[in-house]
Amino acid sequence: MLLFLILSGSNSLHAQHDTISLNPLTVRGFAPERFMAGLKVQRIDSVTIQQFRFQNISELLAFHSPMAFKNYGPGQLNTVAFRGTSSMHTAVLWNGLNINQPNLGQTDFSTLPVAGFERLAVQYGASASVVGTDAVGGSLLLESAGRQPSGLRAQLCRQQGSFNNFQTQAGATYGGKAGASSYFSGKTLVYDGQMNNNYGTTERRNYLFEPSKSRQRGLVQDLTWNLRKQRQISAHAWFTDNSVVLAPENPVAREQTRTQSYRSMVQYQTPSWTWRTAWIRDLIEFGKGDFSTPEHTGTDRFVTRLEKEKEWNLSKNGSPLSVRMGAELAHYRTRVEGYTLPLITENRADIFVMSRWQATERLLFSAALRQAFVTRFDPPLTPSVGVDYVFFTTQKTTLKAKGAVAKSYRVPTLNERYWKTLGNPDIRPERSWNKEIGVELKQNIADSQILTASLTAFHNRVDDWTYWNPERNYRVENLQLVVARGVEFLSRYQTTYLRWQLGATAGYALTRASQERLYDAYAADIVGKQLVYVPVHQGNLTIFAQRGTLRLTALGRAVKRSYYTFDNSRNLPGYVFVSLLGEKTLTLARLQATMQAQVHNLTNAFYLNVKRNAMPGRSFSFTLLVAYNSESK
Amino acid sequence: MKQQFLKVVAGVCVVVGMNACREKTPDPEVYEQGVMVLNAGNFLDNNGSISFFRREQSEAQNDLFFQENGRSLTGNVQSMAEVGAYSLILVDNSTAGQDKVEIVNVGTFKSEATLSAPDIENPRYVVRINDTKAYVSCWDATGDFSDFFKNQGYIAVVDLTTQTVTKKIPVPKGAERMVKIGNEVYLGAVGGTENLTVLDAATDQVKRIIKIGASPDPIDVDANGKLWIQSNYNVVRINPLTDAIEANVRVGNHALKTPSNFAITPDRRSFYFLYSFYDPAANYAQKGEIYRFGIDDTTIRTDTPFLRRVVSGLGVDPAQGLIYGGVTPSFKQAGYVVRYRTDASVVDSIKVDISPSGFVFK
Repeated sequence: MLLFLILSGSNSLHAQHDTISLNPLTVRGFAPERFMAGLKVQRIDSVTIQQFRFQNISELLAFHSPMAFKNYGPGQLNTVAFRGTSSMHTAVLWNGLNINQPNLGQTDFSTLPVAGFERLAVQYGASASVVGTDAVGGSLLLESAGRQPSGLRAQLCRQQGSFNNFQTQAGATYGGKAGASSYFSGKTLVYDGQMNNNYGTTERRNYLFEPSKSRQRGLVQDLTWNLRKQRQISAHAWFTDNSVVLAPENPVAREQTRTQSYRSMVQYQTPSWTWRTAWIRDLIEFGKGDFSTPEHTGTDRFVTRLEKEKEWNLSKNGSPLSVRMGAELAHYRTRVEGYTLPLITENRADIFVMSRWQATERLLFSAALRQAFVTRFDPPLTPSVGVDYVFFTTQKTTLKAKGAVAKSYRVPTLNERYWKTLGNPDIRPERSWNKEIGVELKQNIADSQILTASLTAFHNRVDDWTYWNPERNYRVENLQLVVARGVEFLSRYQTTYLRWQLGATAGYALTRASQERLYDAYAADIVGKQLVYVPVHQGNLTIFAQRGTLRLTALGRAVKRSYYTFDNSRNLPGYVFVSLLGEKTLTLARLQATMQAQVHNLTNAFYLNVKRNAMPGRSFSFTLLVAYNSESK
Repeated sequence: MKQQFLKVVAGVCVVVGMNACREKTPDPEVYEQGVMVLNAGNFLDNNGSISFFRREQSEAQNDLFFQENGRSLTGNVQSMAEVGAYSLILVDNSTAGQDKVEIVNVGTFKSEATLSAPDIENPRYVVRINDTKAYVSCWDATGDFSDFFKNQGYIAVVDLTTQTVTKKIPVPKGAERMVKIGNEVYLGAVGGTENLTVLDAATDQVKRIIKIGASPDPIDVDANGKLWIQSNYNVVRINPLTDAIEANVRVGNHALKTPSNFAITPDRRSFYFLYSFYDPAANYAQKGEIYRFGIDDTTIRTDTPFLRRVVSGLGVDPAQGLIYGGVTPSFKQAGYVVRYRTDASVVDSIKVDISPSGFVFK
């Protein structure tokens, strides 16, 4: 199968004139989900994205997905891990480009506000053949705004919350004809938030509140120029600037971490070609006391990628086969005190081919193959295959089975390789084999009554898992073997009752992840134990009711205790966290006002962050959004 | 009738209550005899703890403070000492302003009071002055690594009758260990000074300074009443009656190894210590051995180790003479206390908590 795809992929270069693309490409951009048959992909709807516009992506994900979070406190480092892997095994893609901070190999989700992107998909399981390095546990696919409707839509938004926390956003989308056959549109958004975290007390149930203040600012700019023959040029920029200060009242010991990212990208797309080029600069500054001489970590990435997609019909009545192939080149420049050289540069390249074959109406195959190249380093060849099979379908019921097998890898972080004292230039890439199967049910119970449910089981074996080995003074080594396995359930129900639209989404995950290799005498205490910060059980439930523009939403998340020592001798207790949200929109001519009131942590649940400081109890926020629409009557 | 019943109930309650009060003093000595293990904990996890076991046991009761008080120590355990009816536990949180001294009942380990910022900032060591008074040395808030000891150190004078800090005595930067001799306290420092500071424990004032050498840190008083002090690669012996330096001996002859974790034997005639270095040829892994020297030795030789092992804590039980080594496999898993006889044979190994680094024998 694989060989066939490789051959057919290369054939396409020579046989272009033979092929006719029947379906014009409707999906713009990278849209890797199309090549992920057999994998579980969860799209987050736009209503949810709007609801969380003043929160970080981690807060949205906490209520909608069974991920494991490692949060150091409000406004502080917050990383997520899929399916019993680590935060470095979560690929975060912005318009198809991995934006994980390359020195740390992970993304601090406290620096990614939901306002910064337009669409979000959560993809579970390994997909390194499709998205590249880091996609060992799963991927988050963020996409910027594309073409906007004509006219001007401007909005101003303010959120006022408990603890003297407040945020402001201002932005507009605009669009109009530019000449006879082209259309120009764009989106601009600026945001600024100040979180003072004045809890009014220093302790909660005998655990400390860590004094901290954070500020989050950013700019989002998307421009899209649609030309004839479905060609499109677009430019995207997303600048984020986050600063968090611990112990702000202590002039000597206060600590500031400032994280700035400048992400910019230009894309040119035709129905079959995509070319994109991007520059990303990630800066981290850490200062203590007067912050005048902070430690710097700075990395620039220049990335360019060319992709070509072709589609054939393998038989007279369809059976379309899409093949997408491409290459990506990236140049890295990193300056970090403590690295082996003041400036380290490296080049990376990826070549890949992805395919999707709708063999019959019921049977969909996908397969992909990727080879990455990294200076002084040797990533493995990475294949994957997946299949979706509809084994039962009636007018009301569709039952689908899925399965996928994928190899994946993680290129070690720049810290792991270049850090003078603790890094290890000989470190190998982590490699994993992920297998998963699942069933998906879609049931139209009655008109406007829809139930979907999915059940997925996975097994992921990650070898050469890196470990900061205390036996070698915490030098990083490929010591561990981690096996993660589990079951995930996700279900959604939607109905109408009188004039109310009602719905619920429920998720549950059982995750068992453990280190299995005995590499020294004391590893016996940790072999087979649950991995740190990965709860065995967790679930989430969202219920909403909507009538007209009034919408009430209840969000809940339940987490079993998670261990924070390798031998499971210590744990962070489990908790249930509930939020309530009410929204109402009023329209007056071209003006619209949306009010949103939210109760966070309704039950005043007590829980701890990873520094074992208390997290805040019940709090409130109120949001007012005023929008102007030039096109409304 | 109903009222009468209530009166009877109230009367019984009063009697029971009074009895309860009477029974409360003196407190039963739950942790009367045994060994307290100071588990430092892991940086940022703020999970230091105290373990306890009786000498005849091979299993420890872990996280004693939590067991007795239903709350955690919220920081790393820096050190601990018994002062009269109390034990003082020095707790260092990863964030400034969150450090504490927990004052617990010496017998029951129930919390009596908590000293916190601004009285306590980066507490280091505690020494008993008398049954109602203790000195806690503090670094105060520290800066970044280019200028770490930005603030003057201080001694927090703790009055255990009121359970408050009654005075802060300014001392050199990086205030460290203290040894009390008579009514004087000898204080070491790692903040750049070469002087030992001598405090008058009656007036709570600095009395004089004694020049010793780089980073002087007092260890203990030997059988002859002489004070031993570590200064980098050397140990120095002074006569506290005259302040005269009687001996200044380099420990071993290894270019990189430094001595640390000194522990005096019950007869006060010798010391065990860890002699270790971070090996640049092995990624700066800590390597070393445990040695022993006598107070009358003119040289300190390091060719015959007592034990070929690196420990995170070292202690000698004055009651039994056994040598206690703390073993930290990693800061993310439970450590062990290994007990050795004086011939270096192993008695047993007791699982404790994260990073066992000190002992209080009682």
